[in-house]
Amino acid sequence: MNLAIFFLVLGIPLTATICCIFIQRRWVFQATTITATALTAIAACILAVMVFVNTSVSAQGGFFYADALSAYVILIVTGSALVVAIYSVGYLDRQVSDGKIDPKILRLYFVLLNLFHSTMLLVLLSNNLGIMWIGIESTTLATAFLVAFYDRESSLEAAWKYVIISSVGITLALFGIILTYYSGLNAVHTSADALNWTTLMSVAQKLDPSILKLAFVFVLIGFGTKAGLAPMHTWKPDAYAEAPAPVTALMAAGLVNVALYAIIRFYILVNKSVGTTFAPTLLITFGLLSMAVALPFILVQKDVKRLLAYSSVEHVGIIAFALGLGTPLGYFGALLHMLNNAIVKLVMFLAVGNIRIAYNSKIIRRITGAIKIVPASATLLFIGMFALTGWPPFGLFVSELTIATAGFGSGNIFPTVLFLFLVAAVFVGLISYVSEMVFGEPPANARAGEPSVVSIIVLTGLLLISVVLGTAMPGTLFEFLQKIVMVLKG
Amino acid sequence: MVDANTASHLIDIFAATILVTAFLIVSSRSLLFYVRLFALQSLLLGMVALLVVVGYGESHILIAAVLTILIKAIAIPVALNRIIKKIEVQKEIALSINIPLSLLICGALMIVASSVAEPILAAQHQTTQTVSRVLPSSIAMMLIGLFIMMTRKKGVTQIIGLLTMENGLFLSGLAITYGMPLIVEVGIFFDIMVAAMILGVFVFRINQTFETINIDELRSLRH
Repeated sequence: MNLAIFFLVLGIPLTATICCIFIQRRWVFQATTITATALTAIAACILAVMVFVNTSVSAQGGFFYADALSAYVILIVTGSALVVAIYSVGYLDRQVSDGKIDPKILRLYFVLLNLFHSTMLLVLLSNNLGIMWIGIESTTLATAFLVAFYDRESSLEAAWKYVIISSVGITLALFGIILTYYSGLNAVHTSADALNWTTLMSVAQKLDPSILKLAFVFVLIGFGTKAGLAPMHTWKPDAYAEAPAPVTALMAAGLVNVALYAIIRFYILVNKSVGTTFAPTLLITFGLLSMAVALPFILVQKDVKRLLAYSSVEHVGIIAFALGLGTPLGYFGALLHMLNNAIVKLVMFLAVGNIRIAYNSKIIRRITGAIKIVPASATLLFIGMFALTGWPPFGLFVSELTIATAGFGSGNIFPTVLFLFLVAAVFVGLISYVSEMVFGEPPANARAGEPSVVSIIVLTGLLLISVVLGTAMPGTLFEFLQKIVMVLKG
Repeated sequence: MVDANTASHLIDIFAATILVTAFLIVSSRSLLFYVRLFALQSLLLGMVALLVVVGYGESHILIAAVLTILIKAIAIPVALNRIIKKIEVQKEIALSINIPLSLLICGALMIVASSVAEPILAAQHQTTQTVSRVLPSSIAMMLIGLFIMMTRKKGVTQIIGLLTMENGLFLSGLAITYGMPLIVEVGIFFDIMVAAMILGVFVFRINQTFETINIDELRSLRH
């Protein structure tokens, strides 16, 4: 039973990847992708229920492992993948008929999208820290050609920068993992288990603290590069701006949380082994730095996708900051923020995708009067902007308020004041640019009419979920988050 | 068979030679020479891994040792050679730091490496692990690889820098843990190979669009 659920969650997207390689007809590989992502999401729900009942599930002698934390991130990833798969079909069909994409390489897109989905799930389901690393490096490899998909000069440049910077970062992370393995070997003496997170947790007190501190620094820098923590975030604006809108959305909603998940796993281990002063300080510092670095680029920005990329850097910073507070309330806020941010990032990037089709541009001053050209997408973008900047009644308001309360409660008065200031300042930048795009007179070359009705329904649904999370959080979710907080407390 | 004592002496010699290849890369401008040095470096690294197998009986690292020689010492260099011939870019022309100063900085990086290695080795419980003597060299290689990537601009050189970092990483794994478990080691290998292939394809395509593989000219995406 346990093994079966792991095979389902991991195997369905992998099977879809292989099927898409061999299917020739466009509608068949599109349908395969949507079906596979939907089935994966259902399997993920079953896994979540199993974890909810049994605390943790493992199979193959502890090779596969899932607890509340992994199940939660899996739900976010598979949910985002489903939305992105549905959106991709309409979006890419439209781009093919506009002559922007060669129909011959359309299949490659769906192959890589499914592969990207499976690599993220591999990270979330493996107990072995080495396999986790392999999964994260594979996400880079699966997305490399997706970032370069339009084959323009600028997209090749972005993809090059993305692969090089991520690979260097991930190399440093591997050194951190080798160090962890080394300290594990000194404590466990059986090499097969010394990379398993659960084994390491059970001998955490026996691990060498100075080695583990060094390991955490390398892992944080390495996986922080993938998550987009400043100052390792420099690939992010380029890659987000150049990748097709649905790929960017899945990177911002899924990949970011996967990289954060890997950091959290090490964070729990290090906190249990060396005490709760070292790692939290690092996370608060990197978190606030990311928020501060993103701010000027949000206040002065020409390109809407780069604007959202810097907003992603900011929100990764918020989550790192909240994790660094080290209190249960801080953890609660961080976890809730991972979900809220993913939902709203999907809405924003996909709404921008629709607008881009209508205007054939992502430069902010060329996009004016979107409310007259694509009324539904423009409305979603405008409301989404308020959701993204933490206004009630949306979910981000609750998570940011929780984080601020946790910040004051844990005695980090100055960092929390800085946090609130940065959140407020980002709002100023976003509202001015989004208003500029939504209102005013549209240019003559814009094509009126929504490119896809399905996407509007999906995105409206997502915003409604965000409202529910901001007004009446379901009791089950509350309980589930508390279970994850227990995992984070070690 | 080689006993542990002989093996450990040979490993010391090989590790020193590996570090010399990294320095030689820094001292040169020719891309083809970089690739040859990298091939030699990987071959020696594979030998170190083989010595760990025969000298210390760590048979799980055998596959990784063979893969290192086949892929890193043969397949990747052959592919990179082809790319260099096709794109007709042979030399690093504009260096942001000149060669004498680069060598001096790499010398300083070695001192940094040994100071990083010291606390790691101090944590060791068993004193039997003589292979760990090469840890400073392996960290120095990672730093030199990073340095190459930061100061040289051609696409192929950046790939060489990254692979040098990875070689240093593999050596550090051998030094302190006798290598990772088999499945992890093979997975890492596969990932690195695919990464090198993807980067090779990008060098090719960027060459088609830019006429030159100077990463410095990839600057249209600022802000």
